[in-house]
Amino acid sequence: MANTQSCDCSRRQAVRSLFTGSLLFPAVLQQMLADTGDSLAPRVPHFPGKAKRVIFMYMPGGVSHVDSFDYKPKLIEAAETGKKTATGRLYVRPRWEFKPRGQCGIMASDLFPHVANSLDDIALIRSMRGDHNDHFQATLGIHTGSVTVARPSIGSWVSYGLGTENQNLPSFVVLAPKLPYTGSQAWSSDFLPGCHSGTLVQAGEEPVPNLTRRAPTQKLEELELGLLGRFNRKHQQSRAADPALAARIKTFETAYGMQMQMPEVLDLSKETDATLKLYGLERGSTKGFAWQCLIARRLAERGVRFIELIDVGASNNWDAHGDIKTHEPLARNVDQAAAGLIKDLKSRGMFDDTLVVWTTEFGRTPHADSPEGRGHHNNAFSSWMAGAGVKRGIAWGQSDDLGARTAENEVHVHDFHATILHLMGFDHTRLTFRYAGRDFRLTDVAGKVVQGVLA
Amino acid sequence: MTQIVTERLPGPGVILPTVRIVFATTGVFVCLAAAWAADSKPTPEALEFFEKKIRPVLVERCYTCHSAASRALMGALLLDTADGWKRGGKSGRPSVVPNEPERSVMLAAMRHEGPLKMPPGPPLSPEIIADFEKWISMGAPDPRTEPAKLPPPPYNFEEAKKFWSFQPVKDPAPPKVAAAEWSRTAIDRFVKAKLDEKKLTPLGVASKRVLLRRLSYDLTGLPPSPEEMSAFLGDSTPQAYEKQVDRLLASQAYGERWGRHWLDLVRYADTSGCNADFPVPDAIRYRNWVIHAFNQDKPYNQFLREQIAGDLLPIKKDADGKEILEDRNDKVVATGYLAIARRFGSRNNEFHLTIEDLIDNAGKVTLGLSVSCARCHDHKFDPIPTRDYYGLYGIFQSTKYAFPGTEIYPHAKDFVPLTTGRDAERLKNYQKETSGLDDRIEDFTAGKLGKELSKEEKDKEMARMKERVVVLERKAPEVPRAYAVSEGTPTDAKVQIGGDPRKGAEVTPRGFLTILGGQKLPSEEKGSGRLELAEWITDPSNPLTARVMVNRIWQHHFGKGLVATPNDFGSRGERPVNPELLDYLASRFRESGYSIKAMHKLMVMTRAYQMASGQNERNASIDAKNEYLWRFDRRRLDAEEIRDAMLAVSANLDRAMGGKHPFPPETTFKYTQHVQFFATYETKQRGVYLMQQRQRKHPWLEAFDGADPNASTPIRTAGQTSIQALAMMNSAFVEEQSDALAVRVGLAYTTEADRIAYAFRLAYGRAPAPDEIRESVKYLADARAALKESALPADRQPRAALASLMHVLLSSDEFVFVD
Repeated sequence: MANTQSCDCSRRQAVRSLFTGSLLFPAVLQQMLADTGDSLAPRVPHFPGKAKRVIFMYMPGGVSHVDSFDYKPKLIEAAETGKKTATGRLYVRPRWEFKPRGQCGIMASDLFPHVANSLDDIALIRSMRGDHNDHFQATLGIHTGSVTVARPSIGSWVSYGLGTENQNLPSFVVLAPKLPYTGSQAWSSDFLPGCHSGTLVQAGEEPVPNLTRRAPTQKLEELELGLLGRFNRKHQQSRAADPALAARIKTFETAYGMQMQMPEVLDLSKETDATLKLYGLERGSTKGFAWQCLIARRLAERGVRFIELIDVGASNNWDAHGDIKTHEPLARNVDQAAAGLIKDLKSRGMFDDTLVVWTTEFGRTPHADSPEGRGHHNNAFSSWMAGAGVKRGIAWGQSDDLGARTAENEVHVHDFHATILHLMGFDHTRLTFRYAGRDFRLTDVAGKVVQGVLA
Repeated sequence: MTQIVTERLPGPGVILPTVRIVFATTGVFVCLAAAWAADSKPTPEALEFFEKKIRPVLVERCYTCHSAASRALMGALLLDTADGWKRGGKSGRPSVVPNEPERSVMLAAMRHEGPLKMPPGPPLSPEIIADFEKWISMGAPDPRTEPAKLPPPPYNFEEAKKFWSFQPVKDPAPPKVAAAEWSRTAIDRFVKAKLDEKKLTPLGVASKRVLLRRLSYDLTGLPPSPEEMSAFLGDSTPQAYEKQVDRLLASQAYGERWGRHWLDLVRYADTSGCNADFPVPDAIRYRNWVIHAFNQDKPYNQFLREQIAGDLLPIKKDADGKEILEDRNDKVVATGYLAIARRFGSRNNEFHLTIEDLIDNAGKVTLGLSVSCARCHDHKFDPIPTRDYYGLYGIFQSTKYAFPGTEIYPHAKDFVPLTTGRDAERLKNYQKETSGLDDRIEDFTAGKLGKELSKEEKDKEMARMKERVVVLERKAPEVPRAYAVSEGTPTDAKVQIGGDPRKGAEVTPRGFLTILGGQKLPSEEKGSGRLELAEWITDPSNPLTARVMVNRIWQHHFGKGLVATPNDFGSRGERPVNPELLDYLASRFRESGYSIKAMHKLMVMTRAYQMASGQNERNASIDAKNEYLWRFDRRRLDAEEIRDAMLAVSANLDRAMGGKHPFPPETTFKYTQHVQFFATYETKQRGVYLMQQRQRKHPWLEAFDGADPNASTPIRTAGQTSIQALAMMNSAFVEEQSDALAVRVGLAYTTEADRIAYAFRLAYGRAPAPDEIRESVKYLADARAALKESALPADRQPRAALASLMHVLLSSDEFVFVD
């Protein structure tokens, strides 16, 4: 196999030279395009950011904070004494045992045992608040800052702000086995240029739409691209200095690069048994969050700017109205993989410039929705950040005694976004895009950087 | 500055003057003195305490951010009415709990006890905090029970009217220019005058070949066929070009192309946009109405009137004086424009967002104004006060919108039957009963109904209702119906503070934008006011409507508008590069009775339109963006054009007008936010007929910058992405068209050279150069050699080789760009 690879490289160079030929130098081209924001060329942020890339884990349906990371002894008491809410609902006892963890001694339950044991590397936030209590709107909110109409996704904003380091891969990749609430609007670039949209990558025959070569042989594809390059160059010769033409020629080169590189990214055969074990991934398996996390690390290594991992879709998810116990298999899918990713990033020296974020739609009610289940709850929930520029082993903010409302150092979704952008080197009030006569930003007219979680 | 403002007071309705000092620079309002009539409940002492100790503090320290007059309302909290603190801010909790100081968030914030520390700036003194504690303990007496009143809008309208786009449309005479022979039409003289002024030299005229390709794509979105090209090239009469213009304008393809431009603007979709994205099978009637309207050259003012108020317009009568049903239906279908507004949530309780979407869209599309900015506050850049927004809001609120169903209320209602008599009744009854059952089932589920029943009885009733739904669905009437609107309950709207429907302030009469005349509904009007709105928008004295539309037509011919921000003619938008020309066009538009086809002809007959698309260094150094039109701008085809052109050259294009989408039967619509509706339906009809849904774009349209089905798209971006390149290289669609094109040229000719030449004529509208033939012939040999190593049977290899060459032609720059 070794010489195949070198063969591929020389082929790729050959094809690349067919594309570019006597064209404009890429640097000039990138500069021509950079002005419009219609480019993935690497760009410098407002100030040096601690994080070069983000791995953003998102759990659809709403993970219960009071059963996972937000320890509420008074809630246990309230449930045991049969206390009721003002509207007559019974409180539900958290279903998993809480224990102090690691050096930091932060309380977390056995729902996510591996993540709990990694809390020394994590900044836990227990005072999250969102603007909406419905799935669709909350999903939109955590991705775009808007709970009503679609806006560009956070990954698109980061891509727009920073471009990407690897032109052979998209700048914003989404790994999701199923579509979440809001469909692909969750990773849409909306009014930002289309190159900043998330690219959905799924395990299987064709991980990215149209990635698989259609030409019956590689040789034929190379012939096609070679002739295309010659036709396009000839067409361009009499139409010099048109950046659109130059840019289009470049996209075929990138597409070809992606066609070559994406299978390599997804090929886990060179990963050691020890690494697979860290994530809890069986060799040969492309299933579950373990696969997603390991692919995320490989994408991060190759310069992808924003990688979003969504564990499940719009149904059979964390929306535990009927029985909170349904959290268990979902957590098992996510837990070891997420903790494994942190360890793996650390051992590779990538934890210092990679930001790992874990969040969800909203939390769940401290009281019962059905006897064993909990309802939607946007007034308090938990999330965490880890890695680049983030404090380790701290818990920031608090909810009230029952986990019903934020009580201290509230982190609104806008604040959460402002903090992520800050870690990437952006003043969230200045990362704007003029659309329909207004300068839009991810944080709308709000957002404060959460200084308390910054290292 | 100081101004005297009269404030309407509660109780006996006495109007007393209060003095308000307005610090114009900071927008801080300080109320110095006020006298109050006694309310029936609180004691005079309590009220005096409020007036002396509480109100002044609220006014001085809170109102800047928490009153109807706030420039930016913070935390959605109002403290200028009692209702405001009772409702509380974003959290939804009351800020003050009467008699319970310890449970009052406002007091905790003042004491800096929790995360919220208020007000900003120096903390309140312990004495003031003690006053508030006492006031809350007294039961928080507060006489401010009248709805909040907005401050007067911060605009001087007379001054604002001087802004260019609010000025009346003039009819400037075409300027006299040197080298008069350059100009072919009056428009050219406007263009040439600018070029001369900027010392720019226009490029020469494009070749006939380039011209016909340009004209065909611009007017129909399709390439000229080799036969059409030959006919044009062989026609040496002076009218040759004009004949082509007339032919293309008369084709059905014209409406499909220009209808699509309109559908982009009105964010057309075949689904509702609710959390489950319910399909709306009848939306296509509106889509087809738009296409027909362009093809019939329906006058633009009538085109707008019908979309806003078609159901209220007079119906044509036949010889016997009987109303013609087709005419009535046509006009009802036109109001699909209002019905396709974006829907939200699962309950229909966020309808204020749908109305906002409508006002936003209608404002941008017809007037080029971002009216909806005034939903939460007076518009910051344009003279549109919040009151004006709610004047329009009242009109749309007084309208009844067909409801396509949601997760919680799955049955459609208020669709308008496109028939009369018994069938119409059957549809109405069906909609009424099924949607009524939806309401009742939900009320039972939520516990609003059936409280008096035992669990057993409740279950029984639920089962009965669900059974009844099944029975009704089995006999669902198949009556043609429109996704349209009808008159609702006419009422003026309350201003919503901060755009929050729970924070109603003063009632605003229904009317039009102050800056455009400020007309109000006549008192004798008993309807919604849509009829009047349609007239106000299309009033010939309205300076925006005609300008905005001619600018759009210009934009789609010349690549960009004379105003580069076609949806924004306000102060944040771009200024027109050639204002005299814009007004000249608007005047001709009016003069022609708002004929869109006449405008096309006026524009494409110019020399400016027929210029070459080359380069000129000197010109580029003065005007790099070609704002003044020294050349014609090359453009990439849009998503539908690329697709349709591939289908056209491969002879796969089905030219029939699109009918219903293959949605599942409506009675099976059980979509939820967990199991949303998602589908992609392929068709060989034109791209305008593709099913477009709001939660997920069609993959091809998404890759190639198709219109946003959630928001008005005035300009299609033409980005270049690797996702597009992958689609070109590997998509089944391009492969299929390449193969079909190979078959087409293979069947038509027997020699390789002839086949290649035909393919070039089909794809590029020109014959290949000798070296291109040589290169292509060599390519076919190379491709066949490469295919020998493939798994393809030997007898399929020649076809695959030819298809491979076709693939290159279809993915090339020359195919997807128009000079």
